Amino acid sequence: MAADSEPESEVFEITDFTTASEWERFISKVEEVLNDWKLIGNSLGRPLEKGIFTSGTWEEKSDEISFADFKFSVTHHYLVQESVDKEGKDEILEDAIPQSMQDLLCMNNDFPPRAHCLVRWYGLREFVVIAPAAHSDAVLSESKCNLLLSSVSIALGNTGCQVPLFVQIHHKWRRMYVGECQGPGIRTDFEMVHLRKVPNQYTHLSGLLDIFKSKIGCPLTPLPPVSIAIRFTYVLQDWQQYFWPQQPPDIDALVGGEVGGLEFGKLPFGACEDPISELHLATTWPHLTEGIIVDNDVYSDLDPIQAPHWSVRVRKADNPQCLLGDFVTEFFKICRRKESTDEILGRSTFEEEGREIADITHALSKLTEPTPVPIHKLSVSNMVHTAKKKIRKHRGLEESPLNNDVLNTILLFLFPDAASEKTLDGTTSIDNSNLPSESEDYNLYNQFKSAPSDSLTYKLALCLCMINFYHGGLKGVAHLWQEFVLEMRFRWENNFLIPGLTGGPPDLRCCLLHQKLQMLNCCIERKKARDEGKKTSDNITNTYPGDVGKAADLLGPDHRKDTDKEKGEVGKSWDSWSDSDEEFFECLSDTEELKGNGQESGKKGGPKEMVNLKPEGRLHQHGRLTLLHNGEPLYIPVTQEPAPMTEDLLEEQSEVLAKLGTSAEGAHLRARMQSACLLSDMESFKAANPGCILEDFVRWYSPRDYIEEEVIDEKGDVILKGELSARMKIPSNMWVEAWETAKPIPARRQRRLFDDTREAEKVLHYLAFQKPADLARHLLPCVIHAAVLKVKEEESLENISSVKKIIKQIISHSSKVLHFPNPEDKKLEEIIHQITNVEAIIARARSLKAKFGTEKCEQEEEKEDLERFVSCLLEQPEVLVTGAGRGHAGRIIHKLFVNAQRLTESSDEAAAMAPPEEELKRVGCPEERRHNPVSDFPAPAGRELILRTTVPRPAPYSKALPQRMYSVLTKEDFRLAGAFSSDTSFF
Amino acid sequence: MDEDVLTTLKILIIGESGVGKSSLLLRFTDDTFDPELAATIGVDFKVKTISVDGNKAKLAIWDTAGQERFRTLTPSYYRGAQGVILVYDVTRRDTFVKLDNWLNELETYCTRNDIVNMLVGNKIDKENREVDRNEGLKFARKHSMLFIEASAKTCDGVQCAFEELVEKIIQTPGLWESENQNKGVKLSHMEESHGGGACGGYCSVL
Repeated sequence: MAADSEPESEVFEITDFTTASEWERFISKVEEVLNDWKLIGNSLGRPLEKGIFTSGTWEEKSDEISFADFKFSVTHHYLVQESVDKEGKDEILEDAIPQSMQDLLCMNNDFPPRAHCLVRWYGLREFVVIAPAAHSDAVLSESKCNLLLSSVSIALGNTGCQVPLFVQIHHKWRRMYVGECQGPGIRTDFEMVHLRKVPNQYTHLSGLLDIFKSKIGCPLTPLPPVSIAIRFTYVLQDWQQYFWPQQPPDIDALVGGEVGGLEFGKLPFGACEDPISELHLATTWPHLTEGIIVDNDVYSDLDPIQAPHWSVRVRKADNPQCLLGDFVTEFFKICRRKESTDEILGRSTFEEEGREIADITHALSKLTEPTPVPIHKLSVSNMVHTAKKKIRKHRGLEESPLNNDVLNTILLFLFPDAASEKTLDGTTSIDNSNLPSESEDYNLYNQFKSAPSDSLTYKLALCLCMINFYHGGLKGVAHLWQEFVLEMRFRWENNFLIPGLTGGPPDLRCCLLHQKLQMLNCCIERKKARDEGKKTSDNITNTYPGDVGKAADLLGPDHRKDTDKEKGEVGKSWDSWSDSDEEFFECLSDTEELKGNGQESGKKGGPKEMVNLKPEGRLHQHGRLTLLHNGEPLYIPVTQEPAPMTEDLLEEQSEVLAKLGTSAEGAHLRARMQSACLLSDMESFKAANPGCILEDFVRWYSPRDYIEEEVIDEKGDVILKGELSARMKIPSNMWVEAWETAKPIPARRQRRLFDDTREAEKVLHYLAFQKPADLARHLLPCVIHAAVLKVKEEESLENISSVKKIIKQIISHSSKVLHFPNPEDKKLEEIIHQITNVEAIIARARSLKAKFGTEKCEQEEEKEDLERFVSCLLEQPEVLVTGAGRGHAGRIIHKLFVNAQRLTESSDEAAAMAPPEEELKRVGCPEERRHNPVSDFPAPAGRELILRTTVPRPAPYSKALPQRMYSVLTKEDFRLAGAFSSDTSFF
Repeated sequence: MDEDVLTTLKILIIGESGVGKSSLLLRFTDDTFDPELAATIGVDFKVKTISVDGNKAKLAIWDTAGQERFRTLTPSYYRGAQGVILVYDVTRRDTFVKLDNWLNELETYCTRNDIVNMLVGNKIDKENREVDRNEGLKFARKHSMLFIEASAKTCDGVQCAFEELVEKIIQTPGLWESENQNKGVKLSHMEESHGGGACGGYCSVL
């Protein structure tokens, strides 16, 4: 440019790096990328090991460049390899043949089961592709293609890059690539032919050899031998003789009142369609030489049965419909529904709401009127009857979402105690004696925060899942939930314990709904005990130990401590913070006695006055301890149990406690708030041990705070002297303060620490206001838990090691996700997806086992081999058949094909109406004609050939260089991919 | 309040009555020692922000009463704790012997299983030691806990104990991060990937 006019241009050579045109700019960008990726120069790697293309890792790097405003993406694909030692690099000769050219001849990785198409066609371990960035863009015109190829050529020449560089031309789906690789004085051109229909002369080996040779145009005679690798692939689609046994479950089975294959509480499993759609058999002749075999348009030596290598792959149906997966997915979908139960069931349910309100008032009125509630007999027919009535009354002409029989079955399943009256009379109907409660599976609820697999909550989750899937969807769910809540209220009002829940306080390891139900059970238990206690206390007033014994028997060993909770008079300053309402005066019939006690305890201070009091509320004697003042035996009193808590209540309470702050005042207030329990215990203690002092209490309650020392008195005798610990002696510390306030009142007459009536109403209210979506969220952990158990159970029948591993991963993943409140939907979906995957894998394993008849195999050794083969098919992309067509597996595969062939033959004869397309192909394809009409195998679905040789090009004295041509022929696709190298030194 | 706090951790202090749980906490939070600290009723609560390896962590420490009778009340506070400090008194063997009970309690009531436990032998300033350091070490090893001996009175090992515990918690992924940053652990895809460029096997032919 500027140099044009310079007269001294010969002297001062100006190197021009300016890039004037778009084309130049494009080339320099390509060079830049190649430089950035350090693809310059020759770096010889190790020779390729056998199978490394499949077993190794492939990676890719991408960048974007543009030619004017047309965007291209540049991608470097490469097999990850350990770098060769640096010392080796020094020895590399300047003019060594580039790695990629050497790879063209390598026979260790022909026909890789899974690889980029360029790898498959050319056997490359590394290459760069320039393709239009947008998926729909294409370089179509010939001049543009040439321009691109020239750019590549220039860029390679300029940079000295020895990695082959391809450009993708035509539409992307055609996968047309042209490219080039340059080395010192040598070049390989990558060319391609892609046709829809194959000319007849190229359907066989001899025709292809002709093309190859003419393409090389080798001046030598005789031509060096061409090495040949061939692979024919046969597809088996017809599994008719092995029909897929899994039927979708019969939805009507339950409606008839009979529980058929589908039982509530059991999850369905399996794929609805065959999860294995095709079997591909690849018969390979890995190493042939020209002249050894004949394959032309009239004759072929290539009999698949005789092929030295057989390998098989299976094509898995994409996302086969799997029952368990669908089941869980559908349930999960409820989580996103916004409707409330009322909205779903229609306005009519308002009346029921009214009924519930009436129930609440009724419940409250009972408090003032302590007559025992008449206990109705609970029976299923009773429940169903009421259900029917409600349905008729409220839904009128409208169909109720749940069929009565179905509802009946479910309720009986959930509340088995309703069937027999006997269990209802007993106090507990919890029966988990036959459960391996120590097993890992059983304790899974710990990790999932679900509920034990024998619990009501878990069963409810399964029922709702089932209802959602088979019986009325969301409406059914809403209906069942409504019935469930009614049942809960019925049980609370009539003192029937809820079955299927472990006793004791709510288990914080379970889901909140489970805790709520346990809480309700606690309330029912206490109410029941109170009602029964009231009856007995009318008869027995003062013989307390016996009374307690009875109460304890009624309640079971864990619940003996709080039989009576009538309210006593409590100093206002010691009001329990959680329980300060006035409305819970329990039993007014005791007032007389109360007054008496109040008067006596009013005279605080001296224990001497109290000695005359009758001891009350003793549980049992405390070892050998005696009261310090009067030497009476020390009795452990009956005490109130602390309030059971669900996690939301606990959260609330901790928040309140934490909000008090960390100041001394806050700490004091906090202690005071929590001292209700201490005070109650002190009062019980005082009542049980008339004449006791704080030291006595401390010896029972906090024995380490009573320090005994051996002291030698004046007479020289060793005596035991005890005193309170220093911290208990701090003036007006809370213990002392509480002790002074405490009056001798037995637990049964104390104010209740736990107000079961209020808590029960709170729980029932909470339950009633759960929307189906809330419910689904509560129960999803249970459903996932159940699904995992199901998958585990099914896997144990098949014993698939990879599935075992995945299940473990699912469990650890789920436990992480489910442990936090409100897990993200995406994470939940992922878990469900994983479960579905496992289900599909198991279904595939079953399908394959059935097809290969592993069960039918009699010889132990062969059976083992076959099983191993089948499990490999599941896990590996391609499996080698040992012994090819003559091995055991090979014979089975052969038979499968023979059977399929016979079927098509017979159906062909019978119908005599092949689709016109087929007909055309038959006529058009000489291949078919060559085949015996009753051949064991169908025509190969794919024929692949690799021809290779090393010859000098273009002149006889040129360097001998690798030449390769790959050809693939399928039904409607023919491709030739050639890599032809030539010596450029003198041309 | 603190913008740069990485996470809030819930720590629990448990152990027999009178082993010095509240004293340890007081020493840690206020750096004081009160020989006449009243016996805790129920649970008490203190907050302190500490910095470990440049990470600021806010500790919400729940101190519990050791009396047997309170044990029906306090376990509800175990919920959601990430770290537990289990204290015994080196001058009173019975407090060491009871450790097994406390571990059982933890196992029963803790809602998670990857929680970090630390064993602290307190009151090493006293002369009438009954529990040897090695015994503590052995116990801690057996139950995979952190172990340290300390004295709330002389301040030995107190700061160190809390720091060590926090560091361990922060090093345990999944124990704290997902709660605060809402960034869960990613699970590797179990499916065989049919990655971008590589055509899934035979699709190039068929």
